[in-house]
Amino acid sequence: MSFETQQKELRDLCAALLRDGAVESVIGFGERSDSCCVCPPIAAKREKDAGKLAWNSRCVPNLAPYLPLRGKTAIVAKPCDARAVVNLIVERQIPRESVRIIGMDCAGMTGADGNPLRACAECGERRAPVADDIIANEISSRRELEDTRGEYSAKRFKDEMKKCILCFSCRQACYGCYCQTCFADRVLPNWQPAEPGFGAKMTYHLGRAMHLAGRCVECGACENACASGVDVRYIIRGVTEFIEKEYGFRAGIDIEASPVMQSCSMDDRNVGFWGGDERE
Amino acid sequence: MSRSDSISRDDLTRLLDVLGRDMRIAGPVKEGRTVDYGISSPDGLLMDDSVSYKSPKEFYFPQAERLMAFGGGTAEEEPASEPFLIFGVRPCDLEGLRILREIFLSGGYSDPFFRRRMENNFIIGLGCVERKEGCFCDKLGIDMRFSDFCDIMLEPDGESYHVEHLSGRGRAALAAVPQTAGVSCGVGRAATAPPPALYLDENADEQRLFGVIDWEEAAFPCRGCGICTFICPTCHCFEFKDSGRDGVISRYRCWDSCMYPRFTLHASGHNPRSARHERYRQRVLHKYLYVRKNTGYTACVGCGRCVRHCPAGMNIKDVAESVMEASR
Repeated sequence: MSFETQQKELRDLCAALLRDGAVESVIGFGERSDSCCVCPPIAAKREKDAGKLAWNSRCVPNLAPYLPLRGKTAIVAKPCDARAVVNLIVERQIPRESVRIIGMDCAGMTGADGNPLRACAECGERRAPVADDIIANEISSRRELEDTRGEYSAKRFKDEMKKCILCFSCRQACYGCYCQTCFADRVLPNWQPAEPGFGAKMTYHLGRAMHLAGRCVECGACENACASGVDVRYIIRGVTEFIEKEYGFRAGIDIEASPVMQSCSMDDRNVGFWGGDERE
Repeated sequence: MSRSDSISRDDLTRLLDVLGRDMRIAGPVKEGRTVDYGISSPDGLLMDDSVSYKSPKEFYFPQAERLMAFGGGTAEEEPASEPFLIFGVRPCDLEGLRILREIFLSGGYSDPFFRRRMENNFIIGLGCVERKEGCFCDKLGIDMRFSDFCDIMLEPDGESYHVEHLSGRGRAALAAVPQTAGVSCGVGRAATAPPPALYLDENADEQRLFGVIDWEEAAFPCRGCGICTFICPTCHCFEFKDSGRDGVISRYRCWDSCMYPRFTLHASGHNPRSARHERYRQRVLHKYLYVRKNTGYTACVGCGRCVRHCPAGMNIKDVAESVMEASR
């Protein structure tokens, strides 16, 4: 099995879905325009458009933010895309019946240089946890997962912030950043000083990390979007690991789940403002 | 020392050392996994064929520039900052600066902040050896090896550089350093490139171009992140922000982006470009039509940065080409 056979299966399936009217459109990846580009997201609306759908190692963007489109929509989903769609359903952003998840078995995507993307090198998900269709691929050579986490320290955070130019691309690429007006864009109150200094960057990145608590699916769209090479995902991962440890919750795995930070259980350990168990 | 029009890398470093006594040196440096323009000693500069992910426009038009401060009944203009020596600027970026100069300094208003940076900064250009992936300067009539919009132009030739001075300051700088004083240059090399193949007719009717392609389909991948405008050598839109501390208000000029919905949001709540494809169309037509109508220049130099870094894989060259073809 290879990308080519998966691509053919995908095109056949989508052609049938569009022909039979099972879906009104398919969000997938188009052919890239240059070898340095990622495959651009496209919406296939007619049967013949299915032939334009691409599946290769440069299908990098997370497609979940392109939902919803009008009518029932199929989405070509890597495991991380599928998790993002599931969490959008869990958060009641899209109705379950409006979307058909085509799960693509995935061995990870690569950068323009052909090396695995950082998020992909650390990812062990090979199959969408929830899907309506599976385009299978036996991924035999199970790579040793890399751990590029490194240390969490104020110095490292400051070093990362030096690179940031506050363009907000990470937010725009993120499936979870769907607020109509981001707190960073608010005028009243204005959270962002005029100078793109450390304070402005810290407010934005820590604010965003907190807003993504229990919602990040580790797709790496933020760091892939960052032209400045900031390890955006590392900032959020501390929060993600905390949620996993304290609440046993991973976003986008269980479609019946309640959003972890929007629900409370009598069994929750008190890890709040008072320092949790240490208080007693 | 025999007269030649080439200098070695060591001589170049020596030249930078001497010039660096009076100016901060900025140039391409490795920052983690990326190449950026940074303040560096001559040894830290990349002198190879690598291209920075950002353009050098920030040395003329900073991302956030304090213009003035006021409070307590007085107002003061921000004093000029120490000039930069900007090393390793590619011909496309030099042409980008030429366009910015036209925009900021010609016409009814000449921007004093941009002007003093233009007067004080010193630029050493560096020709490209190879065309990088995503680059299309050739389609815009730009010679990837040479531009005369700088003080000194270097063209790599193996381990040394052909050198050309293109201003009085450039000539004086070369003469001031023993290692480069004997270099014979100023022989009048000019940029050579075929005429632009990618352009829109400057008399084109805007309303017609709104309909020649399906902009909604063309802009479908766009997430509106605006990174294309931040790293672009010719994008120049800005907004003003005031920020107060201890009774003193500082007025900043900050980069803005036509890709952001707030860019055109009126106080009334009305937004003339409320849809993302309308904002994308604005970016393409501003570069290829509106600046051309106003100044005669196409405000795209084919540096390929937006193509390489678009997180959604969009390619402005393809879109501009399809508009050009459809509007014929």
